[in-house]
Amino acid sequence: MSAPAEEFESLLEPLLNLVYRVAYNLAGSREEAENLVQEASLRAYKGFHGFTRGTNFKSWFLKIMKNVYWELGRRSQRKPQTCALDDAPDLYLFQKVESHPHLKATQDPAHAVLDRLSSEQVARAIGALPFDYRYVCVLYFLEEKAYAEISELLEVPVGTVRSRLHRGRKLLQKSLWEVAVAEGILEVGAAR
Amino acid sequence: MSSPNRYTCEEVFRRLDDYLDRELSDQEIEYLEQHLSVCQVCLREYEFEKSVINTLKSKVNNISAPEDLMTRISARLRNDA
Repeated sequence: MSAPAEEFESLLEPLLNLVYRVAYNLAGSREEAENLVQEASLRAYKGFHGFTRGTNFKSWFLKIMKNVYWELGRRSQRKPQTCALDDAPDLYLFQKVESHPHLKATQDPAHAVLDRLSSEQVARAIGALPFDYRYVCVLYFLEEKAYAEISELLEVPVGTVRSRLHRGRKLLQKSLWEVAVAEGILEVGAAR
Repeated sequence: MSSPNRYTCEEVFRRLDDYLDRELSDQEIEYLEQHLSVCQVCLREYEFEKSVINTLKSKVNNISAPEDLMTRISARLRNDA
């Protein structure tokens, strides 16, 4: 093994679960997530000479993976299903739950709906968001990053991060509800 | 504001996302929480949105990389790079 490969691997391995989770929630399937992580790793390794030791390897790698994801999506000319941007009312899930008496009556109605969804179904709902909203939401949910941290990582203004995250969460609520309905999770009388 | 130290429902609603993201100033937080202490409607909405975020965080984190992924990455670095 060459020294640079070992050094690169020693930085990547502790982050692999996080990196894979980002990839999985972006790509929506295990196969595509593995492919994305591998392609990003290869790209990052080839550019490792450009990484300044002692700086934030995680941010550096996630930036590269974002670019690889974008390029892979364009190359395959695959356009993921996206939610209508003009159809994301505030408190979407809350309003939906309010109209379902058996859900509304539970101690934690939000949890009663969402806990029935698998991680794969949630990833599918996230994958239905427009790309710019998707990445911000994934970083927020996985890392609990502040707006400023996401802004630095994605190289967009803080105000842009804020608006994409807020709108992305609204769209995601709509997407999650549609997944729940499509999967038959919200049958009448099915609440706990 | 209808009260000097407390927001109205509309003012809370406008700030709810930022409050959930811990992006408000200390004074804004104080005014907002004063309102939540007296308004069951806004409190219910806040608790619902908070639960949505917490449940989703749990779901997206409930994924682990395949055990052999690092091994496969290492092989690719040596074969393809």
